Amino acid sequence: MKIIGPDALVFGVDDIAAASQYLIDYGLQAVDAGPHGGRFEALDGTAIIVTRQDDPSLPAPLPTNAPLRKTIYGVADQATLDAIAAELSKDREVRRLDDGSLESVDDMGFALGFQITVRRPLDLPSERVNAPGDHARPVNDVGVDEDRVIIPRSLSHVVYFVPDAAKAETFYVERLGFRCTDRFIGTGPFLQPAGTLDHHTLFMIETPPFMLGCEHFTFHMGGPSEVLLAGTRFVNKGYESFWGPGRHKFGSNWFWYFNSPFGCHVEYDADMDLHDEEWEAREAPISADASQAFLFQYREKWIPGGDPQ
Amino acid sequence: METMNLIELCHLDEIAEGTSRGFDTSGRGRDTVFLVRQNGELFGYRNACPHYGTTPMAWRKDAYLSGDGSRIVCAAHGAQFDIATGECLQGACLGQSLTPVRLTITDDGRILLEQDAQ
Repeated sequence: MKIIGPDALVFGVDDIAAASQYLIDYGLQAVDAGPHGGRFEALDGTAIIVTRQDDPSLPAPLPTNAPLRKTIYGVADQATLDAIAAELSKDREVRRLDDGSLESVDDMGFALGFQITVRRPLDLPSERVNAPGDHARPVNDVGVDEDRVIIPRSLSHVVYFVPDAAKAETFYVERLGFRCTDRFIGTGPFLQPAGTLDHHTLFMIETPPFMLGCEHFTFHMGGPSEVLLAGTRFVNKGYESFWGPGRHKFGSNWFWYFNSPFGCHVEYDADMDLHDEEWEAREAPISADASQAFLFQYREKWIPGGDPQ
Repeated sequence: METMNLIELCHLDEIAEGTSRGFDTSGRGRDTVFLVRQNGELFGYRNACPHYGTTPMAWRKDAYLSGDGSRIVCAAHGAQFDIATGECLQGACLGQSLTPVRLTITDDGRILLEQDAQ
């Protein structure tokens, strides 16, 4: 089953204007957006979809009323879509929507969609770094451009709070062909679907049932400098940094998490590891040390001795 | 003997009915307490969600309330709190409560935060 990763996350919110402005300030591009909500896209067409929480077209909410209402996976082809429909129909309802996509539910109750992916191939350089022995940035190409337009490139991953991580993992591994790439013992697995090499597109954290919902979502940026520059701009617009910037160990991705009006954190990430079937999953007990190689905290710009008067 | 510091947060006129506002009382660039004004009453809490105990709650400067202004919302995981009691009604810290701060309002409408002296 060539599931590539999340094409879109659908949120039902109580303040469309605030949620929309948040995503625009985060850097996504509004498509068909207005008082009804809209679609907020990264460069490759993956997106956050914002709707009113009482929109009748939404799947039923989780019992916790979490704002995340649906995770829509992009798949490689119709054959994968048919295989998913055949597999999930064995023990649960699979609806075929008018747009050709499938709608069903996972073993924790999260609504899932499956569609032939909308992802547009990207042909863009990643952040280039010069170092003795490997000068990757062209001569006379300047590394810092504070005014550069930064648009998130692709919806990277979503993280769920689940009451039974083992059961949740079994569904994705045995029914949908995901693989565990690394694991925090007693917390949950990092999962990679078969159609991508990204370290994970789904991570799960075991929590009490009343927390069932989304912990965060994130988009891949062009490199660590984009994470830091986009995050700095976000802070300067008044948004609340929660954790970061820093760099994770499992997945090696740079991270910076922010609070949001979506009932979950919203992250910028960059430079995640790629793994194929040769990779053997690691395990570690979760801890602050295991969660990051290093962690910094934002502060206002400063110069030794202070600005000249 | 325990002594007390009074820190002036703002004037009543500077927090409108149905809104919230955060204050950086320690000068460290991060709001430590927030006020909510609802039905003419004023409520103040530490800007610290009981889920993790110390983490900030707004999603943007001064944004501590639900879209309809009826509840305090932690923008980390969407936990909802009763404005008057601080009790968590839904979400990650169910059964726990926000930590209230002590406020004094002067005759001329200044809002003072009472803090134990360090």
